[in-house]
Amino acid sequence: MRAIEPWVEAPLGGFLKESAARLTLLMTSSGQVVAQHGFTRSLDVMAASALGAGIMASTFELAKVMGIRPLDAVVHQGTGVGIYLAAFDTPRGRWLGLVVFGDETSLGLVQYFFARLTEDLGRAAPAAEPPRQVLAEDFEDELNSSLRALFGR
Amino acid sequence: MPLVNFTTREITCKLVYYGPGRCGKTTNLLYIHGRVPEQRRGNMVSLATQSDRTLFFDFLPLELGVISGFTTRFQLYTVPGQVYYNATRRLVLQGADGVVFVVDSQARRYDDNLESFQDLQENLLDQGVDIRQIPLVLQYNKQDLPSDLILSPPDLDDAFNFRNVPSLPADALHGAGVFETLKALSSLVLQRLAVRPPAP
Repeated sequence: MRAIEPWVEAPLGGFLKESAARLTLLMTSSGQVVAQHGFTRSLDVMAASALGAGIMASTFELAKVMGIRPLDAVVHQGTGVGIYLAAFDTPRGRWLGLVVFGDETSLGLVQYFFARLTEDLGRAAPAAEPPRQVLAEDFEDELNSSLRALFGR
Repeated sequence: MPLVNFTTREITCKLVYYGPGRCGKTTNLLYIHGRVPEQRRGNMVSLATQSDRTLFFDFLPLELGVISGFTTRFQLYTVPGQVYYNATRRLVLQGADGVVFVVDSQARRYDDNLESFQDLQENLLDQGVDIRQIPLVLQYNKQDLPSDLILSPPDLDDAFNFRNVPSLPADALHGAGVFETLKALSSLVLQRLAVRPPAP
């Protein structure tokens, strides 16, 4: 499991243990990864996150167009595997969860423990920290050499 | 703001390529995808129609390397350029840390560029973002076309660059200006993280 902020780890760990989910991804509503379990490559996590956020964003808009209440969750059920995608509010803004689960658990269990996860996250979130300087002021040399290396120049 | 993980020392930035239909947004990403070593990029995800027009977005994750001790990743997105996909453009633009506005330099596409630029401003405002406050780079694409068909960079600067943001000529199909555009935008985006916040 990897989490952007340490306070996410305990609630997410509890969810993984109870729900028996295969893959879990928490992200912001704009598709930035907050925490993940089960992915082996960080670049694949980002693609899954972008697609998950896209699905939820279009689901919200679709509900708006159809004049129905916003849908907070969608389920894709395949053979032996399912995807549960849900939006929830945290003290850090609106987040999304993407859970891939198999026959070893059930949609009901995933939904139940996911609801508990959202409550636990709400309780665990610390007050927002004030912004601080992240990069050195002379970061541009490193940026330029990284980009040159990336493009083979 | 870019997402910063202080524990694992990682930065993730969302960069969006915006512009009218067929201006070369996807071509920029395809060129980058083709040039960057496989271990430093993910698969390019394209949600496109059967005729390869972008339907929702293209997405390309890049691992830039370590800057000031932080592993830095870029998430590159394009929006669908066609006018009737405005709802999806708005969605992709959510949470963008910086925008490349790709201008089609052909004189006959002038109005399309203008309409798309206004659309960008409106969609940012819709999210409470003033276009003057988000890192923005203009790319004047298709500068390789015959000169009687296109507008020159100074002409395009007069039309679109009233904020005096970085603007770069490009031929995205063959790669000219693609690297420079990404470099200019990433520098603007990361500069925000190098600023010391005022003391409380």
